[in-house]
Amino acid sequence: MNRGIWITLGATASIGGALLFSRRASAASPATPGTTEQTPPTIDLAPLPRAADVSGDLVRNWGETPVDLRPLFMLAEETSRIVGMARVLAVIAYRESRFVTTAQNGNAAAEQDERDSSRDAYKNRKDSNPPLRFGELAAEFGSGGLFGALAPYFLWTGVPEVKDKAPLLNAPPSLVFQPRAAAFGAAVYMQRLLKQYRIDDISDIKVGWANPGLLGKGRGGETYLSVRKRFLEDAQTVGIDLTDVVTIPTKLDASAWPGVPAVFAGLVGALPKELV
Amino acid sequence: MSIDLRCYGDDIQAVADMIPDFDLRSPMDVESWYPREWQAIADTLGFAQQLAAAPRAMPTTPDRMQAMALVGLMAFEQALRAGRPGVTENQARVQSAVIQVMTATGLERGELWRAVVDPTTLATGACYAEGGRSLRAFYPDTAPGYFGDGWAGPPPRAESACGWQTPLVLHLGTFPWVYSSRLGDVGPGVRWASPASQPALEGLHVVASLMEPATNLRQDARQVAAIYRHFATHTAPLVAALPSFQPGQAEAGRLYRRGRFLLAHQGSLHVAALDGPRGRLAASAYNYILRRFASFFAVRRAALRGLATLPAEVQRRAATSADPCLRQQAAEVARAS
Repeated sequence: MNRGIWITLGATASIGGALLFSRRASAASPATPGTTEQTPPTIDLAPLPRAADVSGDLVRNWGETPVDLRPLFMLAEETSRIVGMARVLAVIAYRESRFVTTAQNGNAAAEQDERDSSRDAYKNRKDSNPPLRFGELAAEFGSGGLFGALAPYFLWTGVPEVKDKAPLLNAPPSLVFQPRAAAFGAAVYMQRLLKQYRIDDISDIKVGWANPGLLGKGRGGETYLSVRKRFLEDAQTVGIDLTDVVTIPTKLDASAWPGVPAVFAGLVGALPKELV
Repeated sequence: MSIDLRCYGDDIQAVADMIPDFDLRSPMDVESWYPREWQAIADTLGFAQQLAAAPRAMPTTPDRMQAMALVGLMAFEQALRAGRPGVTENQARVQSAVIQVMTATGLERGELWRAVVDPTTLATGACYAEGGRSLRAFYPDTAPGYFGDGWAGPPPRAESACGWQTPLVLHLGTFPWVYSSRLGDVGPGVRWASPASQPALEGLHVVASLMEPATNLRQDARQVAAIYRHFATHTAPLVAALPSFQPGQAEAGRLYRRGRFLLAHQGSLHVAALDGPRGRLAASAYNYILRRFASFFAVRRAALRGLATLPAEVQRRAATSADPCLRQQAAEVARAS
């Protein structure tokens, strides 16, 4: 799995974090990084959306995407107003988790590098981002969920956009195993890639997912090309035709993005009040 | 009179009880029971949107059961057409022809649930041409699996052009999971579609017809009971090893038992699976198959309860069925009415 995933989220999150520096000092969070954290509460979000919850097509050009996950991907697309997002997310989920919602990298002895990544992500960004109630847990978590998010970046989702109103700051990293929350993180990240990076085609999205640095200086390099090649192979394996313009425009467009709060409300709903 | 299914074994009554009971003579029961079953089928096979968009009333038939079957099949056909073809035109044509023959003979013999044929007796030989070669149109499903201990023989009477060494066996009652193995998250039968032919539609038509009293009563329930028992024997230890679902205490991504069915909490039933000596069985396939058995016996019970109101021809067939349980029940119904 991809140890560099969502690096950019941390990078851009630091912008929000910098803006929030003084606010953070007076944040009412009961635990600050470095202090003893509470035991994470059990969170049970709404179940997977069903076909009736979306209006987009769930039959054409989905390949082997599990039937009961298609509405989730489509809900992410419809809530984000990024046409074509659903099938692209399906291909990404295949690579990152093989569609296992609780996939985790970092929980096995041989996955030290993934834990290192999440620890670095936390260490490097915690001073410039709003505090995470379960920051230390996130640092040791590695990455996980349908889209292979690094835990600290996942919990900081939305910080650049809504600063300390980002909805997951008080949530435990295991929330990434809840598919609606994972899809929220993925949707926010995809809009950021589309808005802030040079995305020439669909495959560039996956390059940015792996490491947005590859979209700049790394463009055209060996890693850039190999990520693109693997993404195209994944699409073929899943059976999603990336050139089917009826379901996936040649370029995805995030100009109708309704904002982090709206996407959170549409995908996740509300967290338990003790986490808000 | 009370109708029970214990003649087929004490466990069979419980199979029917896995889903709600209904009374064929009650229009309200019929109006709620059949759409619910079709919804369950559509949810698993991925045509829920098409089903939701379909008209609920068919102007061509006043019969609610038949109308619901037509609606369901129409929705499935739309989904098949919107999806990607899974087989070539040649294979699809042969599959359609073979299924039609197997359906006709299976119905005649009371063995529609699991239809068996000597492929060399078929006009097509259950073979299709592709790239200058003759290939089998179906998987030779003869190894021990979840529906049986294998089908050794008798071997085909004639030499097969495409290498059939065994009978062709299709479990049409659990379509699209038609083989005793290969019980993955996508039933093999769902792939039976080409741009011009949809043998998959004929497969689902069998499922639909087994929910109609007349066809249900023509099926020898002893065959269904035996296959169910085999399925239950080989899945019970796997299911028993799962924790029971407790709302509010469940772990994300974990597979649970909820009643007799499976639940993947915050996860995909199509990804979750049971792994046993007979192979991998997708949780979605498990639930669907179990529900097909439940549906069959629920309709059988309802059909027996309402037998006196069914057409005379259906009553006559029940009274002269090869199935002694059905004969006995039909006689009791006749006496009581």
